[in-house]
Amino acid sequence: MFQKVLIANRGEIALRVIRTLREMGIRSVAVYSDADRASLHVRKADEAAHLGAAPSRESYLNVERILDAARRHKVDAIHPGYGFLSENAEFAQACVDAGFVFIGPPASAIAAMGSKTAARKIARDGGAPVVPGTEEGLMASPEGRAAATAFAAKAGFPVMLKAVAGGGGKGMRRVDRAEDLAANFDAASSEALRSFGDGRVYVEKLVENARHIEIQIFGDQHGNMVHLGERECSVQRRHQKVIEESPSPLVALHPEMRQRMGEAAVLAARAAGYYNAGTVEFLADNAGNFYFLEMNTRLQVEHPVTELVTGLDLVRLQVEIANGGRLPFTQDQVALRGAAVECRIYAEDPVNNFMPSPGRITQLAEPSGPGVRLDSGVYSGWTVPLDYDPMLAKLIVWADTREHAIERMLRALGEYHVGGIRTNIPLFEVILNDPAFRAGELHTGYLDALLKRPGLFDLAPAPDLAAVAASAVEIHAKPAASPIAEPANGGASRWLSGGREALLR
Amino acid sequence: MKPVIRIDGEVVSPVSHNTAVEVEPGVYSILVEGSSYEVRVGAGQVAVGKRHFDYHVDDPRQWKRSGDAAGGQGRAAILAPMPGKVVRIMAAVGDEVEAGQGIVVVEAMKMQNEMKAPRAGRVSSIQVKENDSVVAGGVLAVIEPAVNS
Repeated sequence: MFQKVLIANRGEIALRVIRTLREMGIRSVAVYSDADRASLHVRKADEAAHLGAAPSRESYLNVERILDAARRHKVDAIHPGYGFLSENAEFAQACVDAGFVFIGPPASAIAAMGSKTAARKIARDGGAPVVPGTEEGLMASPEGRAAATAFAAKAGFPVMLKAVAGGGGKGMRRVDRAEDLAANFDAASSEALRSFGDGRVYVEKLVENARHIEIQIFGDQHGNMVHLGERECSVQRRHQKVIEESPSPLVALHPEMRQRMGEAAVLAARAAGYYNAGTVEFLADNAGNFYFLEMNTRLQVEHPVTELVTGLDLVRLQVEIANGGRLPFTQDQVALRGAAVECRIYAEDPVNNFMPSPGRITQLAEPSGPGVRLDSGVYSGWTVPLDYDPMLAKLIVWADTREHAIERMLRALGEYHVGGIRTNIPLFEVILNDPAFRAGELHTGYLDALLKRPGLFDLAPAPDLAAVAASAVEIHAKPAASPIAEPANGGASRWLSGGREALLR
Repeated sequence: MKPVIRIDGEVVSPVSHNTAVEVEPGVYSILVEGSSYEVRVGAGQVAVGKRHFDYHVDDPRQWKRSGDAAGGQGRAAILAPMPGKVVRIMAAVGDEVEAGQGIVVVEAMKMQNEMKAPRAGRVSSIQVKENDSVVAGGVLAVIEPAVNS
């Protein structure tokens, strides 16, 4: 087994991997940029290597500096986490060429699935249904715009623009009208170029009111492959997942979907010569039809949801498989139990148009108790840097049923307090209390529609709580120098307690 | 003289009979008639359990005032809330705009944020151009009341 592993990532996912490595008795090496010297993943790792300046290109996206760090620290393997270089085939190959094991799929499979247009071909050739779209990626050129316009005219609006190299909602646009196509096409292309270094965009027919359901797959290097059930990720804002859960409420109604989607996912992954952890994303409609969307060739942000319903540690499996190990179970032995829900906690203000809210965390109270898991990358006193994605933590709960898991999540959110910056915690309280969400009536447009509801974050007046708040403010605002006459210290006079202390000296 | 405490803009009197203990810096456990509250006080913000309020203390001895910078019924500046890069200008000087209409798109923390007009009026100046870097608090554009409003 490996002696030492470098995690080419930051934040909560770096810490997530460090924890499993420690359980396995493997030393961990964190990497960090100038902005992350004091970050939690650096504090918790066994070793840490400086990469460079804050911009990702000079740190977490810089292959040479990461490989230098791996050489300096004499690691055996590199875990890419998610985002950054995790789906970069050249990085995966560069790790192998430099003599390190890449904890993930082979570079060839990343390359095959990394191009969204090529992945659609593989899936279709493998027999999975796909959404109609342009065959090739298009550049922001007169020819590209013309091809996009021609497809949209044939397929009809609305259409989706997607980055060929895409992921995480970057370079993605919904277009409802022909006159908006060109401007959105250019914007999507420039966002794609900035995010992925590849400005190609393709056009897909939009499946209205579709649900986003994905299948976790796992394969070893000996030809074994299983699926670990589904996650429903239909609650999205700007194509970014906000809440994920397993089982999907739709699959719960159509249990045969799980096996059909699972088999389609395994077929698509096999066709690409895949091994290690991967996720095949599908669009599904309420009748139970589903279409291949794309394959994510990495560990997903929302992998804990699957961990809680399967009882497996997916990072441990990744490490064992990368080390040449066999899958320790067969498809028949995969058992799903209960329900898990995840909320992505972001430094952004849902009441103020989701404005990012970086800054110093002055207070932090974290939820705990039965069925609660918090994968967090922050601590009190830490300053959320401007330079990276504003996700602070993932709060995941497990319970025996979906209903109980939602109740548990609301309880846990009530225990969660992040002071000094704004977070999207109030958004989750709104969603989880919404009758449509409770009923599992989800689609990818669900949250955008909910957010249009006026007064969504308005609260009933609470004069009792306001008075309690004023009581605390009164004590808090009191200048430290003035003597406290209020019963805040139990009514004892300062002179009296001072005299007692003097006697005890 | 007691300071005047405003909670969400309203003058509120503290609970007269309560026992308050500061259990952590800025965190108070307050018992009122048998009910237990955990109150967290930060800069201008106070949370009672899950419920968040803005607060302001008018202390005649201190005259420490916060916020309220936007004020005034006339000109309104659109400020960059954080450092970032201007990716798009969505209005031109002289345009009449609605409240909430997007004026400038700023990219920060890998997200594009539409900076919106705080009120209806006429765009009297745009002080940035595409690809400009902006600092937190930097003026992006100014909205003036429309001539006939």
